[in-house]
Amino acid sequence: MTLTDAELERYSRQLVLPEWSGAAQERLRDASAIVVGAGALGSPVATYLAAAGVGRLGIVDEDAVELSNLHRQPLHFTPDIGVNKAASAAAKLAFLNPEVQVEPYPARLDERNAEAIVMGADVVVDCSDSFETRYVVNDAACAERVDLVEAGVLGFSGLVLAIRPGESACYRCSFPSPPLAGAVPSCREAGVLGAMAGIVGAIQALEAIKLLAGVGAPLLDRILQLDGHDMGQTIVVTSRRDGCEACARVPVAAEAYH
Amino acid sequence: MSTLDLTGVLCPLNWVRARLALEAMDAGEELRLRLDPGEPIESVPRSAREDGHDVDVHGDWVRIVKR
Repeated sequence: MTLTDAELERYSRQLVLPEWSGAAQERLRDASAIVVGAGALGSPVATYLAAAGVGRLGIVDEDAVELSNLHRQPLHFTPDIGVNKAASAAAKLAFLNPEVQVEPYPARLDERNAEAIVMGADVVVDCSDSFETRYVVNDAACAERVDLVEAGVLGFSGLVLAIRPGESACYRCSFPSPPLAGAVPSCREAGVLGAMAGIVGAIQALEAIKLLAGVGAPLLDRILQLDGHDMGQTIVVTSRRDGCEACARVPVAAEAYH
Repeated sequence: MSTLDLTGVLCPLNWVRARLALEAMDAGEELRLRLDPGEPIESVPRSAREDGHDVDVHGDWVRIVKR
């Protein structure tokens, strides 16, 4: 199916990009993305994926909007306090782009439901706020061979890694075990600025769009570290780890990255 | 050869339509566009050249040979 007149107008500013094409736009429209967490990272991620025209968006979050969320989670507004975050996000995204099918999952992603949630998706964007969930998302994406964009933000620091299971390093290859309990402070203890989370989330969204549309060079085997204090950027090269519990048994794809 | 009448279509939607038409064509094929004077006839040929195509302008008509 070709793009409608309304789609051509809605996406005209990306359709004129030399790197973009009608085929890239159709790949986005035919794609399905899962956003795990509708908070500080999930807000910009879901906004940009919906705006860019990703056809189906699943938003997973069991929490309700709280007053202390609003400074960094711009998909939620003051009247949404008490509303489930997946539902609150889905309502805004439907206004932003009615062409996109948004499915809210008001549930916590855990070992029992993770594979069922990511199964059949073309990309998973991990916007969760705990190391425990991050490993569960990584392991499920590897088991289902779904591309994944990992990220974390704390204070003025951010980190982003794109993952193509079986081809590039997964989160567990690079970080074999979670930090010791208490070693890394939580967002609640250490604090976070909304704008910093917005930058990291926007990078995550761009990586997901690159993976889905097949444009640009995603952060595969490269961990981007950002320091918002001085806008310093560091790329740390990583690689698949022999015997990785999550991705070592994922067979290498016959076709290379397109 | 294909022809597109893009009079009345504003920038950048005229170039979007031309670009999608070019995407569906083979290299060496020819696309003729009719464009409004002013911004359209100035911008669309420039965008087509930036994408690497061969472009000739004759009045309000543009002839593009896909690279």
